[in-house]
Amino acid sequence: MFDEAVVSMILQGIVDTLYMTLVSTLFGYVIGLPWGIALAVTDKEGIRPNSVAYRILDVAANILRSIPFLILLILVIPLTRAIVGKSTGATATIVPLVISAAPFIARMVESSIKEVDKGVIEAAQSMGASTMQIIMKVLLVESRVSLISGVTIAIGTILGYSAMAGTVGGGGLGDIAVRYGYYRYQLDIMIVTVVLLVLLEQVFQSVGMLIAKKLDRRIV
Amino acid sequence: MSIIEVRNLSKTFVTKDGTVNALQGINFTVEEGDIYGIIGMSGAGKSTLVRCLNYLEVPTSGDVRIEGQDLKTLSEKELRTLRSSVAMIFQSFNLLMQKSVIDNVMFPLQLAHVAKDEARTKARQLLSTVGLSDKENAFPAQLSGGQKQRVAIARALASNPKILLCDEATSALDPQTTNSILQLLKKINQDTGITIVIITHQMSVVREICHHVAIVEKGHIVENGAVEEIFTHPKSHAAKMLIIEGKDPDEWEKEQGQISGSDPTVPILHEAKRIRIVFNTQSSFEPVIANMILHFHTPVNILKADTKDVGGVARGEMILGLPEGEQMQSDMIDYIKARGLDVEVLQEEVTGNVR
Repeated sequence: MFDEAVVSMILQGIVDTLYMTLVSTLFGYVIGLPWGIALAVTDKEGIRPNSVAYRILDVAANILRSIPFLILLILVIPLTRAIVGKSTGATATIVPLVISAAPFIARMVESSIKEVDKGVIEAAQSMGASTMQIIMKVLLVESRVSLISGVTIAIGTILGYSAMAGTVGGGGLGDIAVRYGYYRYQLDIMIVTVVLLVLLEQVFQSVGMLIAKKLDRRIV
Repeated sequence: MSIIEVRNLSKTFVTKDGTVNALQGINFTVEEGDIYGIIGMSGAGKSTLVRCLNYLEVPTSGDVRIEGQDLKTLSEKELRTLRSSVAMIFQSFNLLMQKSVIDNVMFPLQLAHVAKDEARTKARQLLSTVGLSDKENAFPAQLSGGQKQRVAIARALASNPKILLCDEATSALDPQTTNSILQLLKKINQDTGITIVIITHQMSVVREICHHVAIVEKGHIVENGAVEEIFTHPKSHAAKMLIIEGKDPDEWEKEQGQISGSDPTVPILHEAKRIRIVFNTQSSFEPVIANMILHFHTPVNILKADTKDVGGVARGEMILGLPEGEQMQSDMIDYIKARGLDVEVLQEEVTGNVR
């Protein structure tokens, strides 16, 4: 149905999309996980309330979250150039993806951690646990199922954003869909890329949920 | 030196609707090896009080001394070290749901950086103490309430604490399980000499295992002392409600609201005076009341008679309605006192619902 060039282009698209999504998720968590923990811990109901720190982290997350991704993509081009050396292609897309995903991930981490039973935290405090010990041995352990569900949602969202990045030459399946499907009216290629994106999302979602379920000890 | 010493402790919470004085002018001491009960209805401030003992709640004013150490003077690090010697168990167990039973018991040891092998050996010993050796690899979700509390007890004991604080530890359990947990606590107290402070709203818990008790009402300690003494001579209204009327604290308020209303199940009685008599084991040989009636040729009205287990000793109690005539009443009281029984004249307020 497609010639070899198109097939190899689509395969490359899959690889690029996976690369962008997974690397962005990884860096998104490198920034978003501590950010979310800090939000949960410094909250007035948290284990170490600090209204100034909470306010700063909270406002920063709100500002970044409220900028539409497409605008952010363009806004950060100078930064992308500075870090990656160019502003197009899969690697370049990772920069705006991380900037956009990190506050979103921070919010999900914050809400996962806030779900942890206050009584369990109090029990740890009554045993003389330090703030760091409570974070590492109680909060992250007890909320891990919710955190992993969060990873699944984050991957899904970043996958969608990576496709959007295609409009400004971001590479990956989204890029192909825009270039061939939109500009050249090659509907068949667009359908194939969309189907592939749906399949990828489905795979990530299923694997994520499976891992979350496997790790949950609350289910007998 | 008392192991726990609380002086003039007050705790005020500031809320949107103003300040709430949760605790006011609390004074009490707990001796080493004691089982000390703190009883009161929900909202009386007893949970706040127990949290002041390990500074999970910092008192607004007053001192808490553990083994002579004033907690207010400790740095945060010193406070954490102290907390490993003041363990706590909770009504809702508060186990780590994502960790196995043995990992839960090892948890405080890991916090203290004890080597894993050593921690595991210790945890196994404790699980056998609480009778759960076979549940080592189970997860809390697979256990019953009583089993979860046993795990919590094993976990609390892991750091070899000197004091065990129990915050309504049996309130979520059925009476049979409650009893088995209380027996376990009693045994641990006897075997290790650990000091236990028990917060509860159930008089049965205090009677079953406590040696001393403090009755908390609206943020104050209204009465405290040896359980036997308070059982025999309750002075405060709250103590009388607990002991004479057999009402647990949660029923106090309801009862107070009902005083003016009439309860159709209680017959209207016209005796002039009511007294309460407590029998101990020695005094149950002579049929005192029967002999008294024969002696005075006047009947008395037995309003209540009951036997309760107070710290393992059977205690009988009886409430009598005496006939009219002051001379007769005081003669009867003297007659009973002469036979070595404790007599107490009841106030109208306690028996008020029969008005």
